[in-house]
Amino acid sequence: MSAPLIELDGVRRVYDTGRVQVAALDRIDLQVASGDFLAVVGPSGSGKSTLMHILGCLDRPTTGRYRLGGVDIADFDDDGLAEVRSRTIGFVFQDYSLLPGTSALENVAAPLLYQGVPRKERLARATAVLERLGLGDRLDHEPTELSGGQQQRVGIARALVTNPALILADEPTGNLDSASGAEVIQLMQGLNRSGRTIIMITHDAEVAQGATRQVHLRDGRIVA
Amino acid sequence: MRTIELLRLGLSRLGHSRLRTALTMLGIIIGVASVVALVSVGQGATSGITSRLQGLGTNLLTVNPGATRTGFTRGAAGSANTLTVDDANAIAALPGVAGVEPEIDSSQLVIAGTSNETAPIIGTSAAYASVRDYTIWLGSFLTPADVTNHLRVAVLGATTASNLGLGQGSIGTTISVGGLPFQVVGIFQPKGTSGAVSADDEVVIPITTMQDHFDNAQSVRTIGVSVASAGQIELVKADIQVTLEGRHGIAPGGVDDFSISDQSQLLQTVGSVTGLLSILLAGIASISLLVGGIGIMNIMLVSVRERTREIGIRKAIGAKAGDIMAQFLIEALAISLIGGLVGIAIGVAATAVIGLIAGWGFVFNPLTVLVAVVFSLAVGVIFGVWPARQAARLDPILALRYE
Ligand SMILES: Nc1ncnc2c1ncn2[C@@H]1O[C@H](COP(=O)(O)OP(=O)(O)OP(=O)(O)O)[C@@H](O)[C@H]1O
Ligand SMILES: [Mg+2]
Repeated sequence: MSAPLIELDGVRRVYDTGRVQVAALDRIDLQVASGDFLAVVGPSGSGKSTLMHILGCLDRPTTGRYRLGGVDIADFDDDGLAEVRSRTIGFVFQDYSLLPGTSALENVAAPLLYQGVPRKERLARATAVLERLGLGDRLDHEPTELSGGQQQRVGIARALVTNPALILADEPTGNLDSASGAEVIQLMQGLNRSGRTIIMITHDAEVAQGATRQVHLRDGRIVA
Repeated sequence: MRTIELLRLGLSRLGHSRLRTALTMLGIIIGVASVVALVSVGQGATSGITSRLQGLGTNLLTVNPGATRTGFTRGAAGSANTLTVDDANAIAALPGVAGVEPEIDSSQLVIAGTSNETAPIIGTSAAYASVRDYTIWLGSFLTPADVTNHLRVAVLGATTASNLGLGQGSIGTTISVGGLPFQVVGIFQPKGTSGAVSADDEVVIPITTMQDHFDNAQSVRTIGVSVASAGQIELVKADIQVTLEGRHGIAPGGVDDFSISDQSQLLQTVGSVTGLLSILLAGIASISLLVGGIGIMNIMLVSVRERTREIGIRKAIGAKAGDIMAQFLIEALAISLIGGLVGIAIGVAATAVIGLIAGWGFVFNPLTVLVAVVFSLAVGVIFGVWPARQAARLDPILALRYE
């Protein structure tokens, strides 16, 4: 077996609020192989989002080591981390986090802007991904003109457009009814089958069933 | 990253909140427009005043009774009537002097046909026209013979002539000045106003005639001396001083009972006053530009706060701090530059209108426009950098959690 895509070694993340120190993550050891579909499950406040921010290179461990693709992310400065996010990670958010007042097409094309892809190519690639996700007739719609399920599919299209090694989804079904939630899970399963590594955060045990592997968090620790 | 892309990003945002953008721009527009207009007004006033002063006569020295004046302030007040026609004759004999005209003033009722007005009467010599830089429109000016023969002849200023209904065909007609008949021998071309006093409202008669009929004293109000060349002005000035001190029995270095002033002194004084005025106007205008800049900063800070989540999202999808910084800075620059250009247009238009009303014409200085453009860009940078930095430095996880 080749080296895992993700390796966490004794990762701690302590929030210092001045008065008290909150260990949102405590001695996390975790390995995720390329091609895994991992569900991170845990109750509210267990540190799921904190873990995702670290995995997504938006945040750094207070102590411990995080290696992504074999490289310690402590070696990167902030611009280096931005580069890593741009090249290797696609985010999907619970609230979709689309850019307001911006069309579905421009939203999906936005990550390519920061890779320096020329505009024509950006729009072509974004269109292709949106068509693949069945949104070919919604290119010019702004987020407010789309249903929740459609918005989340735009969000997934945006995560996919850069062709990243890793997709991180924080409660992707959290704001959706069960039907569109199930659709999103099926979509992610399809992506996983075509070889993509996915880490999905959820507090819903049923949703977690859709993944191939589960990790349970409680009070910042992996309990199962 | 690709300036054009960032430009597109920054500009598209402006279209999102048009009213806000327009109001923010208004601050810059007013600031830049007032800088352009007020600086141009300063320059227009300066050049207008300067050209009028030069129109008063070339290489002109003026000898006045009373103590020396510095600038506009008079020193110790001297006795008023110390100059005589003989003084003027003595000055005329000095080397380097091209012409001398002593003047005696009066004010008399002038009647021509059915028209009448009370006009300033000036008794002077035949050199008056050349020394004071008047041009004859009709007829001719007083001759030396007119003066020596005490003739009752008159040359009219353009305004006086038109007030009295005199023009073509009036040369040789008789008018009444102070109840005495005078023959009109000439009419001046208009010269324009100089301050409050019109140089065109006057009746010029021989000084000898003046002394005979209207002024029993020998007192001369002023002596105008035209110097042959600009280089000789200082020399002639010194000669006049020595001559008059000798004639008035004043020891060299004593307190003179007359004063000699030249145009350059006056020009200098006026120049420094108008220069100060220009700086003052520019200063006032700069304050409004500053206020406009603070407006930009204010709106950008609000915008950064409002768009905290957007910034978080952009960072998550790969934007570097520099990308975010550039996006916001371009927004601020676009506001200030567009505002600046509109402000320049309005400022130039205002300059044209003011110039028209004030009568110094359209003074347009490309440098002012250049400075205004640079200024408004500088305002954009100075007041845009801080909010843009705030945006760029946002912690992505805090920005993403921001509601
Ligand atoms: N910026 C912060 N400053 C201080 N404490 C924080 C901060 N962010 C998170 N925490 C704390 O860290 C712990 C874990 O938070 P986190 O957001 O990771 O939980 P979560 O599992 O995602 O919860 P949820 O399911 O509600 O989203 C919580 O106790 C939270 O209060
Ligand atoms: Mg969370």
